[in-house]
Amino acid sequence: MPMLMIRSIVRPEKTDAVLAGLLDAGYPAVTKVAVFGRGKQRGLKVGEVTYDELPKELLITVIPEKDKDFVLKTIIENAKTKDSGAFGDGKIFVSPVLEVYTVSSGVKEE
Amino acid sequence: MKEVMAVIRINKINKTKKALSEVGISAFTATGKILGRGKGMVDYRILHGAENGHPEAISQLGDGPRLVPKRLITVIVSDNFVERTVKAIIDVNQTGNSGDGKIFVMPILEATRVRTGETVKGESGGGVLDSSGA
Repeated sequence: MPMLMIRSIVRPEKTDAVLAGLLDAGYPAVTKVAVFGRGKQRGLKVGEVTYDELPKELLITVIPEKDKDFVLKTIIENAKTKDSGAFGDGKIFVSPVLEVYTVSSGVKEE
Repeated sequence: MKEVMAVIRINKINKTKKALSEVGISAFTATGKILGRGKGMVDYRILHGAENGHPEAISQLGDGPRLVPKRLITVIVSDNFVERTVKAIIDVNQTGNSGDGKIFVMPILEATRVRTGETVKGESGGGVLDSSGA
């Protein structure tokens, strides 16, 4: 079955909600990396000062292709600021995964 | 070219580095401390603690799996190196217990060496990935 890697960049304060949402949805396997970045708004301007290295969390999860829409919906629902969303809520990137191996068994997942 | 991304145990990073260089791969990226959780739905330490009646363990029972510290390594290799890379990583990281990690293989469309600006596409990394012997 074709697999996809979902890389989502979310607000650090929203990661717990996203992780809980994914767990409830049946996707327990996630990797979390603390990252810094800026987006289309070129960072955050407060008066004279510009912050262009804003702290975010990168969540990596690999899922079967057919579950894509459901997982994306789960992430977006939980990562949004309120219902309307706001600048800085993050981005989600989807890329193909050709092969997946489990180290403990050495077996290629099908 | 392919990207081989592996989530491994923290204490295995040095052995993995050594194993990869023995296969002929000297170039790879390691991301310091990351956190992750896998398919294992039960944390046995919490379960054990709860059985022994520790209140803090009992209070965590419903919280689901904890995120555990891991290392993330990323290797970009030519297509003919993928199998050897995956095998080398599995060989040194396999303890047979759950939590050994996962390996993902993904396509890479293009690689550029910053120093010279040379760009390659397709199966082989050519001169840009020459450390992998392609």
